[in-house]
Amino acid sequence: MNWQALALSVKLAFVVSVVLFVIGMPIAYWIAYSRWRWKFLVESVVALPLVLPPTVLGFYLLVAMGPRSPLGRLWLRAFGHSLSFTFEGLVVASLIYSLPFTVQPFAAAFRSVDQQLAQASATLGVSRLLTFARVTVPLSYAGIITGLVLSFAHTLGEFGVVLMVGGNIPGVTRTVSIDIYDQVQSLNYVSANQTALLLLAVSFLTLSVVYAVNRKVWAL
Amino acid sequence: MAAASDLTFALTEVAHRFELKTGNRVKLAFGSSGNFYAQIQNGATFDVFFSADLDYPRKLAASGLAVAPTLWVYGTGRIVLWVPADSPLNLGKMGMKALLDPSVQKIAIANPAHAPYGRAAKAALHNLKLYALVRDKLVLGENISQTAQFVASGNAQIGILALSLGVAPTMTDTGTYWEIPADSYPSIEQAAIIPTAATDKTLARAFLDYVRTPEAQAILREYGFQPPPETK
Amino acid sequence: MTADVAGDVDSADKGSLSAHIQKRFPGGFELVAKLDALGGITVVFGRSGSGKTTVLNCVAGLLEPDAGRIQLGGRVLFDSERKVNVPVARRRVGYVFQNLALFPHLTAEQNITYGLSRLEASARRSRAQAMLEQFRIANVARRRPAQLSGGERQRVALARSLVIEPRVLLLDEPLAALDLPTQSQLIADLRSWNREHQIPILYVTHSQREAFALGERVVVLEEGKILAQGQPQEVLRAPRQETIAQLAGVENIFDARVMSLQETLGTMTCRLEDSAVHLEVPLAKIEAGATVRIAIHAGDILMAVERPRGLSARNLLAGRVLSLEQQGIAVHACVDCGVTFQVRLTPGARESLHLDVGREVWLVIKTYSCHLLEHEPQ
Repeated sequence: MNWQALALSVKLAFVVSVVLFVIGMPIAYWIAYSRWRWKFLVESVVALPLVLPPTVLGFYLLVAMGPRSPLGRLWLRAFGHSLSFTFEGLVVASLIYSLPFTVQPFAAAFRSVDQQLAQASATLGVSRLLTFARVTVPLSYAGIITGLVLSFAHTLGEFGVVLMVGGNIPGVTRTVSIDIYDQVQSLNYVSANQTALLLLAVSFLTLSVVYAVNRKVWAL
Repeated sequence: MAAASDLTFALTEVAHRFELKTGNRVKLAFGSSGNFYAQIQNGATFDVFFSADLDYPRKLAASGLAVAPTLWVYGTGRIVLWVPADSPLNLGKMGMKALLDPSVQKIAIANPAHAPYGRAAKAALHNLKLYALVRDKLVLGENISQTAQFVASGNAQIGILALSLGVAPTMTDTGTYWEIPADSYPSIEQAAIIPTAATDKTLARAFLDYVRTPEAQAILREYGFQPPPETK
Repeated sequence: MTADVAGDVDSADKGSLSAHIQKRFPGGFELVAKLDALGGITVVFGRSGSGKTTVLNCVAGLLEPDAGRIQLGGRVLFDSERKVNVPVARRRVGYVFQNLALFPHLTAEQNITYGLSRLEASARRSRAQAMLEQFRIANVARRRPAQLSGGERQRVALARSLVIEPRVLLLDEPLAALDLPTQSQLIADLRSWNREHQIPILYVTHSQREAFALGERVVVLEEGKILAQGQPQEVLRAPRQETIAQLAGVENIFDARVMSLQETLGTMTCRLEDSAVHLEVPLAKIEAGATVRIAIHAGDILMAVERPRGLSARNLLAGRVLSLEQQGIAVHACVDCGVTFQVRLTPGARESLHLDVGREVWLVIKTYSCHLLEHEPQ
């Protein structure tokens, strides 16, 4: 039982969910309220990871992180080493991979809040941003929680992208899904099964708790 | 046919010649030997399995999942150091010392847990007393092809690859290789076998026969596989 | 459009509202309205789709007119020529939406203090408390909107808009979903609040009854245009236009032809439709032979069971009761005099006259109860 790999996966999922919350909110806000005629392009880009095979994404990320690409070179110059094969590299890859799982539930929740409430808030002298914080967000808790949980669970189970850019370094990039794969490859089926069942249980438990709480507390 | 990644270039050409010669169509799948092993265990119907080692085919034969008499070592693999063309490292001069160069932050090898070339790489590093010095810099590729990709893209500054990949045209154009001393690791005997679940055993045998021909052997050698030890 | 920076001066904008609004919508609907509202209640009266809510939204700043000018007291809220457009949040507009738009996740008290974040906590609480008491909802302060009755919700919505001391109050059909006693109570509450503050209040409704109950002034809106402005009696009881008559629920509208004019008497005689019924109506600048439309309120017609004598009324018609129907606190009768008239009576009158279907009666109609409607271009 590879506790180190499990801990790494949980840490990755947690970090990614938090970061996605921070960057997801403004993106979802823009998507929910903007009326720019080319908005559909942005929405497509955000949704791309949903349909792109993880290996394709992983491949392009590997290239982008390498010293041959301008982004890779920039990073190299700033930090002295590549983003690939690092925990931070996994975080960046997972951010892109799980972005739609955050942004879409957020945006849907914001849009579903009655627009007249925002109008009422405006007539009462409250700015657009504060209206968002005081009215839209509290009424979107269900969607926000859904987004966070989905990205957590999605990142926890991530394999293809991690395989492409991780390099399988124990304690750094050997997540539990890679570990299970390794166990299978090495014919250690018993060990693989144990780890897999644990991952399944952890994921299921997380989802159940959140959906149970979700329904009870936020039903208005 | 399932074949280990290190046969990518060699076997493609052999198969092409076979098709021209006999008019039979051949489909090739390249990947990690361990993967294919697991798939065959679970009922995959490959006609021939070209492993990167001797172990997997032996295990299949022992468990009855492959036809034991068809087991045949088709060649011996070799490992090499490989750097991309724009690397500052001069492998000819530095040899294994290149791994210790300060400019090397990441060294790519195949995963020793299940890839034969990875096992060989690890063994070589141990025997050459380098393992402890470089272990923090190791990144593991799922198979030898991914390992090559890590180095070719520049994400790893150097890697230990199969000779067969090192001599492939696409790789010779983009980098240089250096043969790691053969006595520093156990020889990588690579064997093929026909699985029991094969759908066309006749054609499979015909293909294996073709691989035994001097013509095919020449191609294998060209692509970095040493001839098999003299057996039938 | 730049925002009006001089906006938040307190006394400058106390005063009347002047709104000239032009707005065109895709689909063809165009609103062209010029209205002035002093302190007090101005009823904006019209059918659904006539543009009433658009007027409110433009005054509030939720919609931008294509052209026009909106001024509140000394403060310009919108001016299309000078490119002035004060943002909604700075207009000090109180707005009670048709479906209230109460914040469902906040209590009644929190809803009311929502717009007061610029005050400190103690001031906020005391103002909210005063409002809660004035509108008699202090006992439900801690409840959420879902737990309040219709009337309580309405009062919370009203209190929420008024607590910010707006310079103008906009109400969009606020009483629609309430029962009569609650409605009257709310109107009383509103009136008493406005006695102190005297801000212009735009009250949108399609109910004639509310218009009369409230209005110091009525503005009639139809298809985006203002048909009339004035006192409810002038505009609705004595409608000049058929649309208004219909809106105001005038029950009797007839085609008629002018037969003769009695200039010295100030009357003219008209023959109704194709019947033998003649009515004397007020004199108008019109020629004999012309066609007119005549409107008469059902409540303006008197009924007698014996032929009356010595009456001042010029119109006395014999007829037969076709139907009698009690509707709420009134009795509606249809009487056939050659032309069918709708007459409204009290139940008491029906009783004391022993009215029955088929009974022969006399209808008495004053000249001035006959209103001539202007011809509408078809």
